[in-house]
Amino acid sequence: MLVFFDTIIYYLYFIMTAFFAFLLLRNLFKREKRKALVYDIVYSYVIITFILRVIGIK
Amino acid sequence: MYLQTTIIAIVMVATFALASWKLKSPEISMVITAIVGALVGGFGFPSRLLVEGMFTYFDVGLIFLTASIFINIYSETGAMNALVRWIVKQFYDKKWLMLILLGILLIIPGALTGAGSVSIFVVGGLVSSVMNYMGFSKKRIAAFIYLFAMLAAVAPPINLWAMLMAAQANMPYVGFGVVLIVPIIIIAAFTILYTGLSKTPGRKTKTEILEELPQPPAGMNWFKILVPFGVLLVLILLMQYATFYIPVLGLPLTFMICAFISMGMDKDRWKVKKWYNVMVKTVDQVFPLLGTVISVGVLVNIMTATGVKGLLAITFITLPMAFIYITALIFAPFAQGSLSYGSAIILGTPIIFLFNSMGLNVTVTAAALSFLFPLGDCLPPSRIVGRLTIETVGYEGSYMSFLKAIAIPWLFMGAIGLLMLLFPNQLRFLVVY
Repeated sequence: MLVFFDTIIYYLYFIMTAFFAFLLLRNLFKREKRKALVYDIVYSYVIITFILRVIGIK
Repeated sequence: MYLQTTIIAIVMVATFALASWKLKSPEISMVITAIVGALVGGFGFPSRLLVEGMFTYFDVGLIFLTASIFINIYSETGAMNALVRWIVKQFYDKKWLMLILLGILLIIPGALTGAGSVSIFVVGGLVSSVMNYMGFSKKRIAAFIYLFAMLAAVAPPINLWAMLMAAQANMPYVGFGVVLIVPIIIIAAFTILYTGLSKTPGRKTKTEILEELPQPPAGMNWFKILVPFGVLLVLILLMQYATFYIPVLGLPLTFMICAFISMGMDKDRWKVKKWYNVMVKTVDQVFPLLGTVISVGVLVNIMTATGVKGLLAITFITLPMAFIYITALIFAPFAQGSLSYGSAIILGTPIIFLFNSMGLNVTVTAAALSFLFPLGDCLPPSRIVGRLTIETVGYEGSYMSFLKAIAIPWLFMGAIGLLMLLFPNQLRFLVVY
């Protein structure tokens, strides 16, 4: 039973990470603060981290 | 090899200073430093190391995100305002009791999770509002919250530094209760006195404050105020003490469960757009921290690959004993600032072995070091808890002025840690199994 719940939780984390990746992506294009080019780069590699986790590379 | 690694370290420090100065972004400066370090170290463009590094503190980043979402949703329901109103009503005229209660409130989440940042996320905003209304200056509020967040991270049952050092040195993580609690009480008492004795020129009357504070929304009651925090506490305790009987939730999911419970308590629970907007704002609010933890991971990974991390550790522990004592208050916090919890493994474990070989009590030594490492959570390059405190308190001065504001209690905590490191055998009576 615990293994079953652990599996569900495992997938919940993927869903959660995908949702946060989406929110970050939205903020990359519609942000009101930190608009400098430097932050485009920071946003990009933060989003890449989330996407890599979602697609299961790490 | 030693010379080559030293050159890499110098180039990395220079790059970080230059990038921070020119780009005004600590996050990108850390990544640029990492890339330059790898290039100088002969790794070429280190794609694999960069990607690996991004994930070093990914889970910590997730905790930051979800804890903030929970607390922002909780605040959006009006429960936070109701709680602040109640605290002001009950304890406003009892300053010392109020400060003790706020201190205990700050210590609980960090003690249970091992992370001071969780304390700031969960109750930092509440503590900051209450202290603001009590008339304390932003400097004193920042010092109070930062110091208690540090003490929360050190407090048992979960002291990650001591746990990591114990695991690495093959010693059991037992007997740390009293040896951690006694110094924590002393440092907490000092911090409360330091805060409480400060002038409060902006102090308003209780009636004025209650008029200023927003009224709780209709239907707000104790059940709605306490259930989200109650569930959080129960889940964290279950994760600690019923590990084999419940599924592994992890802190991020725990915070999300509590966030959904908070939503469920609100009369607008089905207004999805409202909650979506709270989450969008939270992600924007937490982004600098998220960027920092991911960038720190990249930097630490390259420091490991190039040998700079090892160089720092070896240089420190091969110093004569007197120098170790003299420089501990500099090396240990700066190691924490650049390596985060890795400082306990890189620097702490060799010191444990060194002290053990000299017949000094290792439990007291590990406890002493666990008071020195967290001091670095406000130091560059990461500055994670320092920046978090500034954001939570709404501190508007420069980062240097924040460091000055926390200096006195910070040094007191350092002095206590150093005394424990100097006299581990004399303090062995505090090790109670």
